[in-house]
Amino acid sequence: MSDPLPSSSKCGPQPATKPVLEVRDLAVHANGKPLLCHARFDVHAGQVFGIIGPSGAGKSTLLRALNRLTDLIPGLRVTGDVRLRGEPIYAPGADVDALRARIGMLFQQPVVFPASVAENVLFGARHLRRLSRSEKHELVESALREAALWDEVRDRLCASALTLSVGQQQRLCLARTLAVQPEVILMDEPTSALDPKSTQAIEELILRLKERHTIVLVTHNIAQARRVTDWLACVCIRDGAGEIVESACCDSVLGNPQCREVIEYLSHSA
Amino acid sequence: MRRLLDRLLFATCGATALLVCALLIGVVFVIAQRGAPAMSWTFLTEQIRQVGAQGGIFFNLVGTVILITTALVVCTPVAIGLALLERVYVRSERWRRSLGVFLYTLNGLPSIVFGIFGFIVFVKWLGWGKSWLSGGILLGMMILPTVTVALIERMKALPSRYVQAAAALGLKQSQIIWSVILPQTRSGLLTGSLLGMARAAGETAPIMFTATIFAGATQPHGVKESPVLSLPYHIFILAQDSFDPAVGAKLWGAALVLLALVLLLSGIALPGRLKMHEEANV
Repeated sequence: MSDPLPSSSKCGPQPATKPVLEVRDLAVHANGKPLLCHARFDVHAGQVFGIIGPSGAGKSTLLRALNRLTDLIPGLRVTGDVRLRGEPIYAPGADVDALRARIGMLFQQPVVFPASVAENVLFGARHLRRLSRSEKHELVESALREAALWDEVRDRLCASALTLSVGQQQRLCLARTLAVQPEVILMDEPTSALDPKSTQAIEELILRLKERHTIVLVTHNIAQARRVTDWLACVCIRDGAGEIVESACCDSVLGNPQCREVIEYLSHSA
Repeated sequence: MRRLLDRLLFATCGATALLVCALLIGVVFVIAQRGAPAMSWTFLTEQIRQVGAQGGIFFNLVGTVILITTALVVCTPVAIGLALLERVYVRSERWRRSLGVFLYTLNGLPSIVFGIFGFIVFVKWLGWGKSWLSGGILLGMMILPTVTVALIERMKALPSRYVQAAAALGLKQSQIIWSVILPQTRSGLLTGSLLGMARAAGETAPIMFTATIFAGATQPHGVKESPVLSLPYHIFILAQDSFDPAVGAKLWGAALVLLALVLLLSGIALPGRLKMHEEANV
Protein backbone atom coordinates (compact mmCIF):
# COMPACT_ATOMS: atom_id res chain seq x y z
CA MET A 1 0.00 0.00 0.00
CA SER A 2 2.43 2.66 -1.07
CA ASP A 3 0.02 5.02 -2.75
CA PRO A 4 -3.35 3.51 -3.47
CA LEU A 5 -5.03 6.81 -4.18
CA PRO A 6 -5.36 8.15 -7.66
CA SER A 7 -3.60 11.46 -7.97
CA SER A 8 -3.08 13.45 -11.09
CA SER A 9 0.37 14.03 -12.49
CA LYS A 10 -0.36 17.76 -12.47
CA CYS A 11 0.57 17.89 -8.80
CA GLY A 12 4.07 18.67 -7.78
CA PRO A 13 5.51 16.30 -5.20
CA GLN A 14 4.72 16.88 -1.55
CA PRO A 15 7.59 18.72 0.20
CA ALA A 16 10.58 16.53 0.98
CA THR A 17 10.63 17.59 4.62
CA LYS A 18 9.29 15.27 7.26
CA PRO A 19 5.53 15.75 7.60
CA VAL A 20 4.09 17.37 10.71
CA LEU A 21 1.21 14.91 10.84
CA GLU A 22 1.36 11.40 9.48
CA VAL A 23 -1.85 9.42 9.41
CA ARG A 24 -1.70 5.71 8.64
CA ASP A 25 -4.58 3.26 8.48
CA LEU A 26 -6.71 5.38 10.73
CA ALA A 27 -10.13 3.87 11.38
CA VAL A 28 -12.92 4.95 13.70
CA HIS A 29 -15.67 2.65 14.88
CA ALA A 30 -18.80 3.70 16.75
CA ASN A 31 -20.10 0.83 18.89
CA GLY A 32 -18.51 -1.65 16.51
CA LYS A 33 -19.84 -0.04 13.34
CA PRO A 34 -17.20 1.50 11.08
CA LEU A 35 -17.49 5.25 10.54
CA LEU A 36 -14.19 5.81 8.85
CA CYS A 37 -11.65 3.41 7.35
CA HIS A 38 -8.17 3.33 5.89
CA ALA A 39 -7.41 7.03 6.29
CA ARG A 40 -3.88 7.70 5.19
CA PHE A 41 -2.29 11.05 4.51
CA ASP A 42 0.54 13.39 5.42
CA VAL A 43 0.25 17.02 6.40
CA HIS A 44 3.32 19.14 5.87
CA ALA A 45 4.46 22.25 7.66
CA GLY A 46 3.08 25.51 6.40
CA GLN A 47 0.37 23.76 4.45
CA VAL A 48 -3.37 24.19 4.50
CA PHE A 49 -4.64 20.65 4.21
CA GLY A 50 -8.28 20.63 3.17
CA ILE A 51 -10.79 17.87 3.78
CA ILE A 52 -13.96 17.95 1.71
CA GLY A 53 -16.77 15.51 1.15
CA PRO A 54 -20.49 15.00 1.55
CA SER A 55 -22.12 15.46 4.95
CA GLY A 56 -22.03 12.43 7.16
CA ALA A 57 -18.97 10.96 5.46
CA GLY A 58 -16.89 11.37 8.61
CA LYS A 59 -14.90 14.54 7.96
CA SER A 60 -15.43 15.92 11.45
CA THR A 61 -14.74 12.54 13.02
CA LEU A 62 -11.50 12.31 11.07
CA LEU A 63 -10.53 15.77 12.28
CA ARG A 64 -11.35 14.97 15.91
CA ALA A 65 -9.29 11.81 15.72
CA LEU A 66 -6.24 13.98 15.04
CA ASN A 67 -6.27 15.60 18.49
CA ARG A 68 -8.01 12.72 20.23
CA LEU A 69 -11.18 14.64 20.91
CA THR A 70 -12.75 11.36 19.83
CA ASP A 71 -11.81 10.13 23.32
CA LEU A 72 -14.56 12.33 24.73
CA ILE A 73 -17.31 10.73 22.69
CA PRO A 74 -18.55 7.54 24.34
CA GLY A 75 -18.58 4.47 22.12
CA LEU A 76 -15.96 5.66 19.63
CA ARG A 77 -12.91 3.49 19.08
CA VAL A 78 -9.97 4.72 17.06
CA THR A 79 -7.38 2.38 15.56
CA GLY A 80 -4.37 3.05 13.39
CA ASP A 81 -1.45 5.36 13.74
CA VAL A 82 -1.29 9.13 13.88
CA ARG A 83 2.09 10.76 14.42
CA LEU A 84 2.73 14.35 15.32
CA ARG A 85 6.31 15.13 14.33
CA GLY A 86 7.09 11.45 14.52
CA GLU A 87 5.54 10.82 17.93
CA PRO A 88 2.61 8.41 17.89
CA ILE A 89 -0.32 10.18 19.56
CA TYR A 90 -2.24 6.99 20.25
CA ALA A 91 0.69 5.32 21.98
CA PRO A 92 -0.17 4.03 25.46
CA GLY A 93 0.78 6.65 28.01
CA ALA A 94 0.78 9.53 25.52
CA ASP A 95 -0.09 12.80 27.25
CA VAL A 96 -3.43 13.67 25.62
CA ASP A 97 -3.73 17.10 27.24
CA ALA A 98 -0.27 18.13 26.09
CA LEU A 99 -1.13 16.82 22.64
CA ARG A 100 -4.27 18.96 22.47
CA ALA A 101 -2.28 22.01 23.46
CA ARG A 102 -0.05 21.34 20.43
CA ILE A 103 -2.99 20.70 18.10
CA GLY A 104 -5.55 23.45 18.52
CA MET A 105 -9.07 23.33 17.18
CA LEU A 106 -11.66 25.72 15.85
CA PHE A 107 -15.25 24.48 15.82
CA GLN A 108 -18.14 25.00 13.45
CA GLN A 109 -20.01 27.12 15.96
CA PRO A 110 -17.87 29.54 17.91
CA VAL A 111 -17.71 28.35 21.52
CA VAL A 112 -17.05 31.34 23.76
CA PHE A 113 -17.19 30.96 27.50
CA PRO A 114 -19.47 33.24 29.49
CA ALA A 115 -16.62 35.49 30.57
CA SER A 116 -14.90 38.63 29.32
CA VAL A 117 -13.11 38.90 25.99
CA ALA A 118 -9.70 38.94 27.69
CA GLU A 119 -10.52 35.96 29.90
CA ASN A 120 -11.62 34.03 26.85
CA VAL A 121 -8.30 34.68 25.13
CA LEU A 122 -6.42 33.49 28.20
CA PHE A 123 -8.72 30.57 28.85
CA GLY A 124 -6.34 27.89 27.68
CA ALA A 125 -3.00 29.65 28.03
CA ARG A 126 -3.29 30.51 31.71
CA HIS A 127 -3.84 26.88 32.56
CA LEU A 128 -0.82 25.73 30.65
CA ARG A 129 1.77 28.11 32.00
CA ARG A 130 2.09 30.69 34.74
CA LEU A 131 1.59 34.19 33.39
CA SER A 132 2.41 37.46 35.08
CA ARG A 133 0.00 40.34 34.78
CA SER A 134 2.05 42.04 32.07
CA GLU A 135 2.50 38.78 30.19
CA LYS A 136 -1.26 38.36 30.22
CA HIS A 137 -1.74 41.81 28.73
CA GLU A 138 0.82 41.12 26.05
CA LEU A 139 -0.62 37.73 25.24
CA VAL A 140 -4.17 39.08 24.97
CA GLU A 141 -3.03 41.79 22.61
CA SER A 142 -0.78 39.64 20.46
CA ALA A 143 -3.32 36.82 20.14
CA LEU A 144 -6.12 39.23 19.27
CA ARG A 145 -3.89 41.00 16.76
CA GLU A 146 -2.97 37.70 15.19
CA ALA A 147 -6.66 36.86 14.91
CA ALA A 148 -7.39 40.29 13.38
CA LEU A 149 -9.75 41.20 16.17
CA TRP A 150 -7.69 43.63 18.25
CA ASP A 151 -8.89 46.82 16.59
CA GLU A 152 -12.52 45.85 17.08
CA VAL A 153 -12.33 44.85 20.75
CA ARG A 154 -9.41 46.81 22.22
CA ASP A 155 -11.84 49.04 24.14
CA ARG A 156 -14.04 46.21 25.39
CA LEU A 157 -11.60 43.62 26.64
CA CYS A 158 -13.52 43.40 29.89
CA ALA A 159 -16.93 43.19 28.23
CA SER A 160 -18.66 39.84 28.03
CA ALA A 161 -17.56 37.85 25.03
CA LEU A 162 -21.19 37.00 24.38
CA THR A 163 -21.79 40.58 23.25
CA LEU A 164 -19.57 40.07 20.21
CA SER A 165 -21.04 39.18 16.83
CA VAL A 166 -20.79 35.55 15.73
CA GLY A 167 -17.99 36.40 13.30
CA GLN A 168 -16.08 38.19 16.05
CA GLN A 169 -16.70 35.28 18.39
CA GLN A 170 -15.18 32.88 15.91
CA ARG A 171 -12.07 35.07 15.63
CA LEU A 172 -12.01 35.25 19.42
CA CYS A 173 -11.97 31.45 19.49
CA LEU A 174 -9.10 31.54 17.03
CA ALA A 175 -7.25 34.03 19.25
CA ARG A 176 -7.81 31.73 22.22
CA THR A 177 -6.35 28.83 20.27
CA LEU A 178 -3.43 30.93 19.06
CA ALA A 179 -2.65 32.05 22.61
CA VAL A 180 -1.81 28.44 23.42
CA GLN A 181 0.70 28.53 20.52
CA PRO A 182 -0.25 25.28 18.83
CA GLU A 183 1.77 23.79 15.99
CA VAL A 184 -1.28 22.55 14.14
CA ILE A 185 -4.74 24.09 14.01
CA LEU A 186 -7.69 21.92 13.11
CA MET A 187 -10.68 23.78 11.73
CA ASP A 188 -14.08 22.13 11.46
CA GLU A 189 -16.10 24.13 8.92
CA PRO A 190 -15.09 27.31 10.74
CA THR A 191 -17.08 29.63 8.48
CA SER A 192 -20.31 27.71 7.98
CA ALA A 193 -22.08 29.72 10.69
CA LEU A 194 -20.70 33.06 9.50
CA ASP A 195 -21.78 35.81 7.13
CA PRO A 196 -19.72 36.43 3.95
CA LYS A 197 -17.70 39.27 5.45
CA SER A 198 -16.63 37.27 8.50
CA THR A 199 -15.97 34.30 6.24
CA GLN A 200 -13.62 36.40 4.20
CA ALA A 201 -11.87 37.57 7.36
CA ILE A 202 -11.32 33.99 8.50
CA GLU A 203 -10.07 32.94 5.07
CA GLU A 204 -7.57 35.77 4.99
CA LEU A 205 -6.45 34.72 8.45
CA ILE A 206 -5.97 31.13 7.33
CA LEU A 207 -3.73 32.26 4.49
CA ARG A 208 -1.71 34.42 6.89
CA LEU A 209 -1.52 31.84 9.66
CA LYS A 210 -0.22 29.09 7.43
CA GLU A 211 3.19 30.72 7.37
CA ARG A 212 3.65 29.77 10.99
CA HIS A 213 1.10 27.05 11.62
CA THR A 214 0.00 23.93 9.88
CA ILE A 215 -3.72 23.94 9.23
CA VAL A 216 -6.15 21.12 8.60
CA LEU A 217 -9.42 22.54 7.34
CA VAL A 218 -12.68 20.68 6.95
CA THR A 219 -14.98 22.58 4.64
CA HIS A 220 -18.14 21.95 2.69
CA ASN A 221 -17.52 25.00 0.60
CA ILE A 222 -15.71 24.08 -2.61
CA ALA A 223 -14.96 27.70 -3.47
CA GLN A 224 -13.36 28.12 -0.08
CA ALA A 225 -11.30 24.99 -0.59
CA ARG A 226 -10.10 26.43 -3.88
CA ARG A 227 -9.21 29.75 -2.30
CA VAL A 228 -7.27 28.59 0.73
CA THR A 229 -6.15 24.96 0.60
CA ASP A 230 -2.94 23.61 -0.82
CA TRP A 231 -3.70 19.93 -0.61
CA LEU A 232 -7.12 18.32 -0.61
CA ALA A 233 -8.44 15.02 0.59
CA CYS A 234 -11.95 14.04 -0.35
CA VAL A 235 -13.79 11.81 2.11
CA CYS A 236 -16.67 9.85 0.62
CA ILE A 237 -18.74 6.92 1.76
CA ARG A 238 -17.64 3.62 0.33
CA ASP A 239 -19.16 0.34 1.54
CA GLY A 240 -20.97 2.10 4.35
CA ALA A 241 -17.97 3.83 5.87
CA GLY A 242 -16.12 7.04 5.15
CA GLU A 243 -12.90 6.71 3.25
CA ILE A 244 -10.41 9.11 1.70
CA VAL A 245 -11.10 8.36 -1.93
CA GLU A 246 -8.85 10.97 -3.44
CA SER A 247 -6.02 13.03 -2.11
CA ALA A 248 -3.98 15.41 -4.22
CA CYS A 249 -3.11 19.04 -4.64
CA CYS A 250 -6.11 21.32 -4.62
CA ASP A 251 -6.14 22.16 -8.35
CA SER A 252 -5.94 18.54 -9.30
CA VAL A 253 -8.80 17.34 -7.10
CA LEU A 254 -11.09 20.18 -8.06
CA GLY A 255 -10.02 20.55 -11.70
CA ASN A 256 -9.45 16.99 -12.70
CA PRO A 257 -11.00 14.57 -10.23
CA GLN A 258 -10.26 10.92 -10.89
CA CYS A 259 -12.68 9.19 -8.64
CA ARG A 260 -16.36 8.60 -9.44
CA GLU A 261 -17.55 9.65 -5.97
CA VAL A 262 -15.58 12.88 -6.10
CA ILE A 263 -16.89 13.77 -9.54
CA GLU A 264 -20.40 13.17 -8.31
CA TYR A 265 -19.86 15.17 -5.10
CA LEU A 266 -18.33 18.11 -6.98
CA SER A 267 -21.13 18.16 -9.54
CA HIS A 268 -23.71 18.39 -6.74
CA SER A 269 -21.79 21.09 -4.91
CA ALA A 270 -21.12 23.30 -7.91
CA MET B 1 -66.07 9.11 19.42
CA ARG B 2 -62.30 9.39 19.26
CA ARG B 3 -62.50 13.14 19.53
CA LEU B 4 -64.67 12.77 22.54
CA LEU B 5 -62.14 10.45 24.16
CA ASP B 6 -59.40 12.93 23.32
CA ARG B 7 -61.28 15.73 25.00
CA LEU B 8 -62.15 13.57 27.96
CA LEU B 9 -58.48 12.74 28.45
CA PHE B 10 -57.55 16.39 28.20
CA ALA B 11 -60.25 17.33 30.67
CA THR B 12 -59.11 14.66 33.13
CA CYS B 13 -55.50 15.81 32.91
CA GLY B 14 -56.56 19.41 33.32
CA ALA B 15 -58.68 18.48 36.33
CA THR B 16 -55.74 16.79 38.06
CA ALA B 17 -53.65 19.90 37.49
CA LEU B 18 -56.39 22.04 38.97
CA LEU B 19 -56.67 19.66 41.90
CA VAL B 20 -52.97 19.98 42.67
CA CYS B 21 -53.14 23.75 42.50
CA ALA B 22 -56.25 23.81 44.64
CA LEU B 23 -54.57 21.60 47.24
CA LEU B 24 -51.57 23.89 47.49
CA ILE B 25 -53.67 27.03 47.58
CA GLY B 26 -56.00 25.44 50.13
CA VAL B 27 -53.18 24.49 52.48
CA VAL B 28 -51.59 27.90 52.21
CA PHE B 29 -54.93 29.61 52.70
CA VAL B 30 -55.96 27.62 55.78
CA ILE B 31 -52.59 28.01 57.46
CA ALA B 32 -52.38 31.71 56.61
CA GLN B 33 -55.87 32.32 57.94
CA ARG B 34 -55.30 30.47 61.18
CA GLY B 35 -51.73 31.62 61.66
CA ALA B 36 -52.13 35.32 60.85
CA PRO B 37 -53.57 36.33 64.26
CA ALA B 38 -50.47 35.01 66.04
CA MET B 39 -48.16 36.86 63.71
CA SER B 40 -46.36 39.87 65.09
CA TRP B 41 -42.86 41.17 65.36
CA THR B 42 -42.54 39.93 68.92
CA PHE B 43 -43.68 36.46 67.84
CA LEU B 44 -40.60 36.25 65.64
CA THR B 45 -38.18 37.86 68.08
CA GLU B 46 -39.22 36.55 71.49
CA GLN B 47 -38.34 33.32 73.22
CA ILE B 48 -40.84 30.62 73.96
CA ARG B 49 -42.66 31.20 77.27
CA GLN B 50 -45.17 29.20 79.33
CA VAL B 51 -44.79 25.99 77.35
CA GLY B 52 -45.64 27.65 74.07
CA ALA B 53 -48.77 29.47 75.17
CA GLN B 54 -46.89 32.75 75.39
CA GLY B 55 -43.89 34.31 73.76
CA GLY B 56 -42.51 33.63 70.33
CA ILE B 57 -40.47 31.27 68.28
CA PHE B 58 -37.16 33.12 67.90
CA PHE B 59 -34.90 30.27 68.96
CA ASN B 60 -36.99 27.76 67.04
CA LEU B 61 -36.35 29.75 63.90
CA VAL B 62 -32.66 30.08 64.79
CA GLY B 63 -32.45 26.34 65.44
CA THR B 64 -34.09 25.43 62.15
CA VAL B 65 -31.77 27.78 60.26
CA ILE B 66 -28.77 26.22 62.04
CA LEU B 67 -29.98 22.72 61.16
CA ILE B 68 -30.64 23.38 57.49
CA THR B 69 -27.44 25.37 57.04
CA THR B 70 -25.43 22.55 58.60
CA ALA B 71 -27.27 20.10 56.36
CA LEU B 72 -26.29 22.14 53.33
CA VAL B 73 -22.65 22.48 54.35
CA VAL B 74 -22.46 18.74 54.95
CA CYS B 75 -24.29 17.80 51.79
CA THR B 76 -22.84 20.17 49.17
CA PRO B 77 -19.30 18.76 48.84
CA VAL B 78 -20.61 15.20 48.71
CA ALA B 79 -23.25 16.17 46.14
CA ILE B 80 -20.66 17.88 43.93
CA GLY B 81 -18.42 14.84 44.20
CA LEU B 82 -21.22 12.43 43.31
CA ALA B 83 -22.44 14.56 40.42
CA LEU B 84 -18.93 14.81 38.97
CA LEU B 85 -18.49 11.10 39.44
CA GLU B 86 -21.71 10.42 37.57
CA ARG B 87 -21.13 12.90 34.74
CA VAL B 88 -17.36 12.94 34.26
CA TYR B 89 -15.61 9.96 35.72
CA VAL B 90 -17.97 7.01 35.42
CA ARG B 91 -17.84 5.96 31.79
CA SER B 92 -19.81 2.72 32.00
CA GLU B 93 -23.55 2.98 31.72
CA ARG B 94 -24.03 0.18 34.25
CA TRP B 95 -22.16 1.95 37.03
CA ARG B 96 -23.94 5.16 36.22
CA ARG B 97 -27.29 3.42 36.57
CA SER B 98 -26.20 1.82 39.84
CA LEU B 99 -25.36 5.26 41.19
CA GLY B 100 -28.81 6.46 40.13
CA VAL B 101 -30.48 3.53 41.88
CA PHE B 102 -28.44 4.30 45.00
CA LEU B 103 -29.57 7.92 44.97
CA TYR B 104 -33.23 7.08 44.45
CA THR B 105 -33.11 4.46 47.19
CA LEU B 106 -31.54 6.93 49.57
CA ASN B 107 -34.23 9.41 48.60
CA GLY B 108 -36.90 6.83 49.37
CA LEU B 109 -35.64 5.90 52.84
CA PRO B 110 -38.23 6.85 55.45
CA SER B 111 -37.11 9.80 57.51
CA ILE B 112 -37.74 7.95 60.76
CA VAL B 113 -35.09 5.44 59.67
CA PHE B 114 -32.59 8.28 59.43
CA GLY B 115 -33.71 9.34 62.89
CA ILE B 116 -33.10 5.91 64.39
CA PHE B 117 -29.79 5.60 62.56
CA GLY B 118 -28.70 8.96 63.91
CA PHE B 119 -29.82 8.04 67.40
CA ILE B 120 -27.73 4.88 67.36
CA VAL B 121 -24.64 6.39 65.71
CA PHE B 122 -24.42 9.98 66.92
CA VAL B 123 -26.38 10.07 70.16
CA LYS B 124 -25.29 6.72 71.57
CA TRP B 125 -22.22 5.45 69.82
CA LEU B 126 -20.38 8.75 69.42
CA GLY B 127 -21.89 9.93 72.66
CA TRP B 128 -22.93 13.35 71.38
CA GLY B 129 -26.30 13.22 73.10
CA LYS B 130 -28.78 15.50 71.41
CA SER B 131 -26.77 17.81 69.21
CA TRP B 132 -27.46 20.23 66.39
CA LEU B 133 -24.57 18.64 64.49
CA SER B 134 -26.08 15.18 64.36
CA GLY B 135 -29.35 16.68 63.18
CA GLY B 136 -27.56 18.68 60.52
CA ILE B 137 -25.63 15.64 59.30
CA LEU B 138 -28.79 13.53 59.16
CA LEU B 139 -30.71 16.19 57.28
CA GLY B 140 -27.70 16.54 54.96
CA MET B 141 -27.88 12.81 54.23
CA MET B 142 -31.59 13.12 53.56
CA ILE B 143 -31.30 15.96 51.07
CA LEU B 144 -28.20 14.54 49.38
CA PRO B 145 -30.23 12.89 46.56
CA THR B 146 -32.21 16.08 45.86
CA VAL B 147 -29.12 18.25 45.59
CA THR B 148 -27.14 15.65 43.64
CA VAL B 149 -29.88 14.97 41.11
CA ALA B 150 -30.46 18.70 40.54
CA LEU B 151 -26.74 19.13 39.93
CA ILE B 152 -26.55 16.12 37.61
CA GLU B 153 -29.51 17.42 35.59
CA ARG B 154 -27.81 20.78 35.27
CA MET B 155 -24.56 19.15 34.19
CA LYS B 156 -26.44 17.09 31.59
CA ALA B 157 -27.88 20.33 30.21
CA LEU B 158 -24.40 21.85 29.85
CA PRO B 159 -23.71 21.70 26.10
CA SER B 160 -20.86 19.32 25.36
CA ARG B 161 -19.25 21.90 23.09
CA TYR B 162 -17.95 23.76 26.14
CA VAL B 163 -16.16 20.71 27.44
CA GLN B 164 -14.86 19.90 23.95
CA ALA B 165 -13.59 23.44 23.44
CA ALA B 166 -11.80 23.42 26.77
CA ALA B 167 -10.33 19.98 26.10
CA ALA B 168 -9.18 21.12 22.66
CA LEU B 169 -7.14 23.85 24.37
CA GLY B 170 -5.23 21.22 26.29
CA LEU B 171 -6.91 21.65 29.67
CA LYS B 172 -6.67 18.73 32.04
CA GLN B 173 -9.79 17.01 33.34
CA SER B 174 -9.49 18.77 36.70
CA GLN B 175 -9.02 22.14 35.02
CA ILE B 176 -12.11 21.54 32.88
CA ILE B 177 -14.07 20.72 36.01
CA TRP B 178 -12.90 23.85 37.83
CA SER B 179 -13.13 26.33 35.01
CA VAL B 180 -15.97 25.01 32.86
CA ILE B 181 -18.23 22.49 34.54
CA LEU B 182 -18.53 23.90 38.06
CA PRO B 183 -18.90 27.60 37.16
CA GLN B 184 -21.51 26.82 34.55
CA THR B 185 -23.55 24.57 36.80
CA ARG B 186 -23.63 26.89 39.80
CA SER B 187 -27.30 27.59 39.19
CA GLY B 188 -28.06 23.88 39.47
CA LEU B 189 -26.21 23.67 42.75
CA LEU B 190 -28.07 26.69 44.06
CA THR B 191 -31.44 25.35 42.95
CA GLY B 192 -30.81 21.92 44.38
CA SER B 193 -29.53 23.37 47.63
CA LEU B 194 -32.55 25.57 48.11
CA LEU B 195 -34.96 22.74 47.36
CA GLY B 196 -33.01 20.49 49.70
CA MET B 197 -33.04 23.11 52.44
CA ALA B 198 -36.77 23.59 51.94
CA ARG B 199 -37.26 19.88 52.45
CA ALA B 200 -34.90 19.70 55.42
CA ALA B 201 -36.63 22.60 57.12
CA GLY B 202 -39.84 20.64 57.50
CA GLU B 203 -38.46 17.28 58.59
CA THR B 204 -39.26 16.22 62.12
CA ALA B 205 -38.49 12.53 62.38
CA PRO B 206 -34.72 12.68 61.80
CA ILE B 207 -34.17 15.38 64.40
CA MET B 208 -36.62 14.54 67.14
CA PHE B 209 -34.38 11.98 68.89
CA THR B 210 -31.09 13.42 67.78
CA ALA B 211 -30.98 17.17 67.70
CA THR B 212 -33.95 19.07 68.96
CA ILE B 213 -35.82 19.62 72.18
CA PHE B 214 -39.01 21.49 72.92
CA ALA B 215 -37.81 24.18 75.26
CA GLY B 216 -34.82 25.37 77.18
CA ALA B 217 -32.24 25.66 74.46
CA THR B 218 -30.85 28.80 72.89
CA GLN B 219 -27.92 28.87 70.50
CA PRO B 220 -25.56 25.87 70.71
CA HIS B 221 -22.18 26.28 72.41
CA GLY B 222 -20.49 23.08 71.35
CA VAL B 223 -21.22 19.75 69.81
CA LYS B 224 -21.90 17.39 72.72
CA GLU B 225 -25.23 17.78 74.52
CA SER B 226 -26.10 20.92 72.63
CA PRO B 227 -29.56 20.60 71.16
CA VAL B 228 -31.44 23.37 69.43
CA LEU B 229 -35.11 24.25 69.25
CA SER B 230 -36.72 23.83 65.85
CA LEU B 231 -39.94 24.77 64.10
CA PRO B 232 -41.21 21.36 63.02
CA TYR B 233 -40.64 19.78 66.45
CA HIS B 234 -42.28 22.79 68.08
CA ILE B 235 -45.33 22.32 65.87
CA PHE B 236 -45.33 18.59 66.59
CA ILE B 237 -45.35 19.06 70.37
CA LEU B 238 -47.86 21.92 70.37
CA ALA B 239 -50.17 19.96 68.08
CA GLN B 240 -50.33 17.19 70.68
CA ASP B 241 -51.28 19.71 73.30
CA SER B 242 -53.45 22.22 71.46
CA PHE B 243 -56.59 22.08 73.58
CA ASP B 244 -55.53 25.38 75.07
CA PRO B 245 -56.70 28.02 72.53
CA ALA B 246 -53.66 30.21 73.29
CA VAL B 247 -51.37 27.33 72.33
CA GLY B 248 -53.48 26.70 69.22
CA ALA B 249 -52.92 30.21 67.90
CA LYS B 250 -49.17 29.93 68.47
CA LEU B 251 -49.17 26.55 66.77
CA TRP B 252 -50.76 27.93 63.60
CA GLY B 253 -48.39 30.87 63.75
CA ALA B 254 -45.38 28.57 63.88
CA ALA B 255 -46.79 26.53 61.00
CA LEU B 256 -47.23 29.68 58.96
CA VAL B 257 -43.64 30.73 59.60
CA LEU B 258 -42.37 27.30 58.58
CA LEU B 259 -44.53 27.33 55.47
CA ALA B 260 -43.30 30.80 54.58
CA LEU B 261 -39.70 29.67 55.04
CA VAL B 262 -40.19 26.65 52.79
CA LEU B 263 -42.07 28.61 50.13
CA LEU B 264 -39.40 31.29 50.25
CA LEU B 265 -36.62 28.75 49.68
CA SER B 266 -38.52 27.04 46.85
CA GLY B 267 -39.44 30.43 45.42
CA ILE B 268 -35.83 31.60 45.25
CA ALA B 269 -34.99 28.35 43.50
CA LEU B 270 -37.70 28.83 40.87
CA PRO B 271 -35.91 31.17 38.40
CA GLY B 272 -32.91 28.84 38.44
CA ARG B 273 -35.08 25.86 37.57
CA LEU B 274 -36.84 27.68 34.75
CA LYS B 275 -33.52 28.83 33.35
CA MET B 276 -32.17 25.31 33.47
CA HIS B 277 -35.02 24.04 31.33
CA GLU B 278 -34.60 26.82 28.83
CA GLU B 279 -30.96 25.97 28.33
CA ALA B 280 -31.73 22.30 28.06
CA ASN B 281 -34.05 23.07 25.18
CA VAL B 282 -31.40 24.81 23.13
